[in-house]
Amino acid sequence: MNGAGLELLYALADDDFVLGFADSEWTGIAPHLEEDVAMSSLAQDELGHASAYYGLLAERTGGELNRIAYDRPADAFRHSRLVDHGRGDWARTMTRRWLYDTANAVRLEALADSSDRPLADLAVKVRREETYHLLHGQAWVERLGGYNGEPRRRLIEALELVGPDASSVLAALPSEAVLVADGILPVPSAELLERWTGRVAPILAGLDLVLPPPGAAALDPLTARSGHGPAFQALWAEFNSVRGLDRAATW
Amino acid sequence: MTDPLALDPVLPEGERSRLPFNRDRPHDERYRAFEEHVLAGGKVEAGDWMPEEYRTSVLRFVEMHANSELMGVLPERDWIMRAPTLRRKLALTAKIQDEVGHAQLLYRVAEDLGKTREAMIEDLLAGRTKFHNVFHYPTRTWADIGVIAWLVDAAAIVAQQALRDSSYAPYARTMKKICWEESVHIMHGRDVVVTLAAGTPEQRAMVQEALDRWWPPLMQMHGPRSDRDKDRDLHWRIKAKTSEELRQEFLGIYVPRIRELGLSLPDPELRLKPESGAWLYTEPDWAELRSVVTGHGPASAARIGFRREQRDATSWVRATILGPAAAA
Amino acid sequence: MEPYEVFRQEREGEPMRHGGSVVAPDPTLALHYARELYARRGESLRLWVVRRADIVELDDQDLLNPPLDRSFKKPGGYVMREKLAQARVRTGQSKRSAGPG
Repeated sequence: MNGAGLELLYALADDDFVLGFADSEWTGIAPHLEEDVAMSSLAQDELGHASAYYGLLAERTGGELNRIAYDRPADAFRHSRLVDHGRGDWARTMTRRWLYDTANAVRLEALADSSDRPLADLAVKVRREETYHLLHGQAWVERLGGYNGEPRRRLIEALELVGPDASSVLAALPSEAVLVADGILPVPSAELLERWTGRVAPILAGLDLVLPPPGAAALDPLTARSGHGPAFQALWAEFNSVRGLDRAATW
Repeated sequence: MTDPLALDPVLPEGERSRLPFNRDRPHDERYRAFEEHVLAGGKVEAGDWMPEEYRTSVLRFVEMHANSELMGVLPERDWIMRAPTLRRKLALTAKIQDEVGHAQLLYRVAEDLGKTREAMIEDLLAGRTKFHNVFHYPTRTWADIGVIAWLVDAAAIVAQQALRDSSYAPYARTMKKICWEESVHIMHGRDVVVTLAAGTPEQRAMVQEALDRWWPPLMQMHGPRSDRDKDRDLHWRIKAKTSEELRQEFLGIYVPRIRELGLSLPDPELRLKPESGAWLYTEPDWAELRSVVTGHGPASAARIGFRREQRDATSWVRATILGPAAAA
Repeated sequence: MEPYEVFRQEREGEPMRHGGSVVAPDPTLALHYARELYARRGESLRLWVVRRADIVELDDQDLLNPPLDRSFKKPGGYVMREKLAQARVRTGQSKRSAGPG
């Protein structure tokens, strides 16, 4: 598999890995016990999806799943700017998740027709699991937006903070031209972004809200997935703290 | 007050239930009929008439159990972010998720007996109600996670299996579901311990050290020996076994399994008496147990403080969308 | 927020059985939580959630188990051993016919 395909797989894997990690922090401390269990499942699903993508990477590079996932310096991770943010408060988590899940759904639907058959098959499976995520995310965004007072205020704050980075999920990768030419990415990123905006804008409009315009850094292929901030640096240190004791050992 | 991991003989008089175990008081026919029903193995549902004493006993028992599941999450939570492989991270997250789920099931049972979740959490944070001793201790290494998931869960399961036939039917049903779900955790925990015990010298040392530290609280976990005749929870068939029975059961299964890994246990007196089949051990420090469960454990204040902080950070959600009179 | 009772079907062909309850602000989230608490391991084929407030209950034993004889409504209320034995003697049969009816 050529470099372009690997770059795409890393983007998919790292997005789910980092989001799953960040959101798993809610385990035990969510606003409500039932919601705690739900949130934990969502985070576990992301990690499961990440494992599947890393599995493909492992097969194609001859590497091992955990080495590929963990044993990299922080700046070698290729997750999007949207996912680089810390989980924040409940409103930020729900907002960011919804923005991510809606974009991910658009991406996965397109990848179902990828010339990379194993990736296409995986995309179909993941997309089916994501339906559950979309239901939850939309339910929460609607409830937050529809409740005047603190919930709506916090939703607006969250949109202002992470909204400009939301486009980074679907922004073109450096190898976009090759990915599209080879059919690995059957739909160009610009069109994916339009489809996504077309889905989220009406829902926000229904709440009298607008999606903030994308920041330049979020759309630029050279910055959409690099330049990670302190939130991710801290996360990286945590998930390497035990493994880093002995990367050669079996844990 | 007794609790699932019996403490009654240790607590001073003032801390026991305000309702005395009223064997000597005159009772009406209804109380007698209820008592006969329960002693004969009959079950009680949430909507049934029950003597206040029974209601109070069940509520305290279930509340303590629920609190323990909720607080039990905290020692392990930190390590979700530090789990060294994807599989371990998923397993640990799923395990903790189950604990939160169990807390939900148990708080629901308690809520249906008339106490709100908010009141229970407030009492927990204020130290008015208690949770198991083991959750008052810090976790220091990855090996602690293995030891807790394996042995602390094992000790809890031994108690929980004996509760599946509780007279209070909603609790009994919940215990069946919990026991079914718990069987996987033990395997995850044991796998972590087995892997470390078979690993590098540093990993082996890590797990032995963790075991040495956790053994005393584990031995205290089921509580001091209690008098069968004075144990109200036994009388009402809320629970079925004494502390000592549970502890013996735990030792019988798990000491051999620990030793077969080449790990040692820090109690020189620990051995099986072949004639009686009973385990001998150094008497646990019951004063330490009492001190710990009344909030003086090494991590008690930090954990309660953390819970309070997190509750406050999300109170805006419960005041609105997840509130008592939410508009959809 | 109010309790919703959760009913689940474990295997095809089986009836919906009560599993427990969840507290939720509305049916959409109630269903989501029911899936989490009662089906996240794939242990349920189907789920129902019902607002507890919508459930109408009967537990009056005078209505469910009335005291006077109603054995005519139950199979055990029909004991035909003696009459059948006499019939066999009358008709010269030695074997009994199988079956309840």
